[in-house]
Amino acid sequence: MNLNTLARRNLWRHKRRTLITASSIAFGVLLAVTFTGAGDYFYTRMIDAGSNMGMGHISVMAHDFNRAPSSKKRLHQAESLKQAVEQFANVKSVASRIQGQAMFSSARKSIGGVFFAIDPQQENSDNNLFVKAMVEGDMLSSASGSSIVLGTELAKKLKLKIGKKVVYTTTDKNGDIVSAIARVSGLFKTGADEIDGSVAVLPLNKVQQVLDYQPDEVSVLAVILSDQRNSDLLREQMQAMPQFADVEVLNWQQTQPDLAGMIAVDKSSNYISQLLIALLVAAGILNTMLMSVLERRREFGVMMAVGMSARNLFVLVMLESFWLALLGLIIGVIVTTPWFLFMSQTGLDLTAAYGDGFSFGGVLLDPIFKIRLFKESIIAILIGLFSLALLSGAYPAWQAGRVAPVESLKTH
Amino acid sequence: METIVELRNLSKIYQQGEMQVKAVDNVSCDIHKGDFTALCGPSGSGKTSILNLIGGLDTASSGQVNLEGVDLSTLSNTVLSEIRKNRIGFVFQSYNLIPVMTAYENAAFVLDLQGTDKVECRDRVMKTLADVGLQGLENRRPDEMSGGQQQRVAIARAIVTHPAIVLADEPTANVDSHTAESLLDLMQVLNEQHGITFLFSTHDQRVIDRAKRIIRVQDGQIVSDEHKA
Repeated sequence: MNLNTLARRNLWRHKRRTLITASSIAFGVLLAVTFTGAGDYFYTRMIDAGSNMGMGHISVMAHDFNRAPSSKKRLHQAESLKQAVEQFANVKSVASRIQGQAMFSSARKSIGGVFFAIDPQQENSDNNLFVKAMVEGDMLSSASGSSIVLGTELAKKLKLKIGKKVVYTTTDKNGDIVSAIARVSGLFKTGADEIDGSVAVLPLNKVQQVLDYQPDEVSVLAVILSDQRNSDLLREQMQAMPQFADVEVLNWQQTQPDLAGMIAVDKSSNYISQLLIALLVAAGILNTMLMSVLERRREFGVMMAVGMSARNLFVLVMLESFWLALLGLIIGVIVTTPWFLFMSQTGLDLTAAYGDGFSFGGVLLDPIFKIRLFKESIIAILIGLFSLALLSGAYPAWQAGRVAPVESLKTH
Repeated sequence: METIVELRNLSKIYQQGEMQVKAVDNVSCDIHKGDFTALCGPSGSGKTSILNLIGGLDTASSGQVNLEGVDLSTLSNTVLSEIRKNRIGFVFQSYNLIPVMTAYENAAFVLDLQGTDKVECRDRVMKTLADVGLQGLENRRPDEMSGGQQQRVAIARAIVTHPAIVLADEPTANVDSHTAESLLDLMQVLNEQHGITFLFSTHDQRVIDRAKRIIRVQDGQIVSDEHKA
């Protein structure tokens, strides 16, 4: 009989104990999938939502614009840069935008805020949070014209309604103060008061005229990727190209450091939680395998007496751990799959707890708790738990190999 | 006559707390090929300790154990393990079969460790099981067999590799007298017809009566060595 068969039969000697231990591994799979899946889902949602608020996953902008934004700092030949960016694989869309600060005034009140000037032809609900968040009226109909879309809170503060006029005052590329009149065409509501109370969306061409920009000048090219995880690599590739030598290419971590920091902190606490779960699973396996080895000391002593090597005994117990881990993973996958499908497709509706949504790192998230898993996460969970189970079996296996036949044969 | 085991001034001292216990005290003797020897004496006299030293399961405090001319005291655990696998057969008081294996698999266990060809392994195991009277019980697990049948499997496991010597530690202690007699019949046949060398540790008079040679041990020392005519 080979060691593999012997190991499987040994495991089946105590069916209940084996199944309980395998279930603990399976439970580990369920928890790891839930924690990791929640992370993969929420971090992606946060990053995508944050990127759709103006700067994209990758931002191409004039040097130093990110650190100290100013109308003076602008991209020239934005169209050719845009075409170059669009050549990269994984780029979903590129939008030309002008971002700046302005004073918005109604007949009754003036409030400082931020404007994003966009070309509505380049924007949609996939790459622009404000398009998605429209609650009243219409988004801008064209890049020219004199429309403005306001956040609901900003409109409320200015006591403005659809169709009313608003004056926005800012500084142009020469540093001169300039003003223009716009008519409110729509209102958006992201749910984050700091955004809804300070942001306005303006037509790109009109703002170019107001700021005395050339038609090919904008402040930022917001690049949306089909997978945000490629942002760092793509940023490096773009920055290395000659036509990007005079501009700055930043990824979302650089343009939204607060969000990146919060995600990093949250990830750390997520990892710690998962580590604790892993330790609990490992302790269960270690306990089972150690008990199994200790109660078979006499049997191992006999095996060694008749000529089995310490190495073979080590291999035997490691094979038992291997099959236990595999059984646990299989049960884990069977149990976790329906849970994962439900959570990834339907999710848990937490509206009762969070209302219409909640803000994290200045980014609005909807209250449906869902999970998703990247391929790498699935592989990491399976390999991680499998390795953990094997590792937990290593000490008992080492103990088995250290059995002294003459001592163990004395035990009854 | 070919010498299988040579013991020369063999001693084994165990430390029990503050005290030193001399389990084997300056023992010297030879075991020859074809011997059917009983190492007898009261409990605690040192029989099992001598058997363990000959089997390479324990190391001597002083003196020498030579098995087929090889001094066991100079060998590493790995080499000792190889010698046990290839040259020594063990039969224990409480059978010590592997519970998850059938009679066939238990008997074949050491041959598997040796890496014996499957066909040859099967032939040898089936023949040996037949020799020990277990034909037809090959697929039974230990918990499906009587004590006597289990001990027969243990004997089959011990002799199937054609060892130089079979060391049997109180092989009849856990079976009834009828079974003990039949086990002794079996071992006697294996000794006489197949020339297998047996060394028993025992205080069972039935074993002593059947032995060709009786070595009496007391307080770790050989007090008599009697060859029957």
